[in-house]
This record gives sequence, C-alpha cells and structure tokens, in this order.
Amino acid sequence: METMVPKTSAALSSLLRADFITQWRNRRSTVLILLVPVIILISWKGAIDKLGATFALSTCITLGLMAIGLMGYSNAIARDRDKGIFQRLRVTPVPTWSIMVSRLIVQFAMTFLVTAIVFFAGYYIDKITLQPAGYIVTFFTAIVGGALYLGLGQMIVGLVKNAETVNSTTRLVYFVFIMVGMFGELGVLGEQFKEAVHWSPYGTVKHILAASMQPSTWNNDATMALLITIAYATIFGLLGIKRFKWSTQ
Amino acid sequence: MDIQNGNSILQVEGLNVSYKSFKAVCDVSFDVKAGEIFGLLGPNGAGKTSTLSAIEGLLKPQSGSIFISGFDVKKKPLHARANLGVQLQSTSFQPELTVSEIIKLYAGIYCVPLTSEKLESILKDIKLEESAGKRFGELSGGQKQRVSLVLATIHDPVLVLLDEPTTGLDPQSRRQLWERMEKMREKGHGVLLTTHSMEEAEAVCDRIAIMDHGRVLTVDTPQTIIERHRNDPEVISVSRKGKITLEDVFIGLTGRNVRA
Repeated sequence: METMVPKTSAALSSLLRADFITQWRNRRSTVLILLVPVIILISWKGAIDKLGATFALSTCITLGLMAIGLMGYSNAIARDRDKGIFQRLRVTPVPTWSIMVSRLIVQFAMTFLVTAIVFFAGYYIDKITLQPAGYIVTFFTAIVGGALYLGLGQMIVGLVKNAETVNSTTRLVYFVFIMVGMFGELGVLGEQFKEAVHWSPYGTVKHILAASMQPSTWNNDATMALLITIAYATIFGLLGIKRFKWSTQ
Repeated sequence: MDIQNGNSILQVEGLNVSYKSFKAVCDVSFDVKAGEIFGLLGPNGAGKTSTLSAIEGLLKPQSGSIFISGFDVKKKPLHARANLGVQLQSTSFQPELTVSEIIKLYAGIYCVPLTSEKLESILKDIKLEESAGKRFGELSGGQKQRVSLVLATIHDPVLVLLDEPTTGLDPQSRRQLWERMEKMREKGHGVLLTTHSMEEAEAVCDRIAIMDHGRVLTVDTPQTIIERHRNDPEVISVSRKGKITLEDVFIGLTGRNVRA
C-alpha cells in the first residue's frame, strides 16, 4: 500500500494548470490590470510627439508590471494564505518551492501579455513601431522589471500578515509609485527628487525598458539601471521569502 | 515496508511543540496501527491540532520523533507525506476551480492516473456527479467536506488524518462519513481523527487518546477507558444519568471549566 513520492515535474504541471485556470477565472481583474496602461496610451494620444514614443511605452509597461506585482500577485497570495489553500497544498508531497514557482510562472506570463498589449495598443493608437530587436530586448527587460515588482509584492506579503492590510498597503504603494514616479521624473518635485526617482524601483525599470526599445542607444547608464533593478528584485525577493509565513495562524 | 493490519503505521514518540514560551504539546507518545481508527480527544486548546500539524509537517516540533509508514517526518518529509492523506480543519481549495478541476489537480500532484471514467466514479461515490462543474466556492459545507475527504484518500494513503471532520455536518452526512472511515479501516488504512464528539469516538474509534494541556492523559479502547475510570470520584460527580459514559470520563479527566 506504500505510496512513492510523485515526480516534481508532474506535480508542477498540475499546479501550473490549476494556477492558469484560476488566473483565467479572475479575468475581470486581469483585464483591469491590462486596461490601465492602454487607457494612459489613449489619453496621451495627442502628446506622443512631445513625450516621445519610448517614454510613453516604457511608462505604460512599467505601470502594468507594477499592477501585476503589487495588485495581482501579492493580493492573490495573501488571499490564498488567509483561506488555508497553501496549507492544504503543503501537506502533499510536493516541494514547497514548486507551489510558489507555479504562481510566479503565471505572473511572468502576465508580464509578457501586458508588454505585448502595450506594443499592440501603441501601434494601433499611436502608430508606434520599433525595430524587431527592440521588441525582443524589451520582452527580456520586462521580465527583469516584472521580477522587481513581484519581489516587492512578495516582500509586502512577507511583512504583512492580514490579507486586507496587504490589499490596502499594495494600493497605497501603487498610488505612491505612480504619483511620485511620474511627477518626480518630469522634474515637477525638484531636481534632487528627479535624480532619486531615476534610481528608484520606478525609475530603473522605466529606464531599462526605454533603453531596450532602442538597443543601439543602450549605454552605461542603462547597464547601471539594469544592475540596480536586479539588485532591487533580489533584495525584495529574498526579504519577502525569508519573512513569508505560509499560514496566518 | 509491508503494511499489514496491526502494524504501526504512525509512531509518535516524545513529541514536544512550543509557540514561543507556550508549550502546546508536552512529551506526547502514541501509535496508530493499520486497519485502526484512532481518536484524539481533548477540549479546545488541548494540543490536538498542534499534534496533527507536527505529523503533517506543518509545524517543526522542538523534540521527539514521528514516523509515518517507517519514514521519519524530519528526514524524509516528502516520503512521509506521500503516505499521508489529510483533511484539515478549515478546508479550502481555490474557490475559482470546479470540483472536477480540484480532483484533477490533486490526482496530478500524487501522480494518480485519472481517466474520465475514474473521475466520474469518484464524483458518483461522493454524490457530486451533478456538481462536477460547480466551483468549490459554490458548494455547501457538507459537499466541501466530501470533496476534501475524497482528496485525502485519492492516492490510497497508508494513513489518513481527519481534523474534526464532522463539525457542522448534519446527521446524515455524519453517518455517511463514519461509513467511509469504516471502509478505510476495512481496506487496511489507519485513520487518526480528532473530534469533540464523544458519540463519534465511541461509535467509530477502536482506540482513543484523551489529551489536555498538551499531554496525553489516557490511551485505550473507549470501553476500557470507561471501565478504568468508572469509580473515579471526579467522573461520578459529573455523571448525569446514573450510567457512566465516555463524556463523563472525558469531563472527569479534563475538568468542567469551559476553555477559550
């Protein structure tokens, strides 16, 4: 009657299927996450020439990635922890890392989707086109940027136990990032603030996305922004994993 | 490991679990045999769920050993969990998934081949064939319990842990669950259940352990425990109908005070 330990790959594929179905069933919130960058692109339609195509696209992708990490991922994790869904999975013979990896793969798929939708919207609304290399490199940097915001979301669910508090905290952080990031970047809040925003999680992600849309213009500043983005993602992610509790009890 | 009726499939030895300075489980030892239903009884906060959580691997005990089907829970957690089926006290699965999808998920996790015929027969067995496409969040309490129990046994585990499985169930559903437990026993599974119902313990358990303040006070068959404590002054003083019941012994041993 003894049962053998099942293969991790088989368990992971079952978890992935379930997580993709869950994401699909929550498509209303997914659509809202995808809609924000598209609405911004539409509202900037007349100002694209002034702002620049890479500025518009990189801002919209950054906002989309932020929404995925802060609003989507962290709230789903907080809810499932609160309901005991993780505890039920943890008593099965799957390694606990595979439960989180499955969730993260779904979120990285969302990152691809938001990037693709911004590119489509940019083309149909503002007739923005990039060179093929620009599209390819941007998909890669979007993954790095997405990892930063997923790490930030992980850090919030690691530090905050209550699902409702996680919800309000992520909304607040999202709002602060948008307001301070966008106004700070434009220099409205002063030069020092502009510099601080440039190297903030908002600024570095936006910078690498903008630079990767024109790979020929990639410079040392962009490389530094990429390294800092990776550092942010690592610090947030590690802190979030270290402090994360699978149960609220 | 050869599992035969009467062999120990769960061995708990000198288990200690603490939450900061609070000792939830103190030096608990017991075993569950194949083909046996073992009940863990105790008032709220007695340490039942902490004991179960340590067996499930959800809690790290301060000391003591736990072996499931011969596998050390600390050293071989995945092997131990592969031989374990669990129904947690607060059952929850992704509310967006349908009953069929949840069954497929857990069958996949345990690498149990699941044909559409087998899925149908599982659904029929738990009388949810009409609700296969219903989302878990839309099911009634009893239906959720049935899904949870079928998932606990989908991989035919050696040991099944049921944490207060009949709480909130109507008498029909409770009887049905007892029958399922008895079927598991007939197949040679060991069942460890926690319950507040003395009626349930007497009706289905082969042996019981009464816990309080993190310690096991007594372990034996319900009838032997009643006989052993029949003449205890504390038990006689709480007896209501002249006849000593398991509930009288339980209250006599654990006290009249209501626990928080």
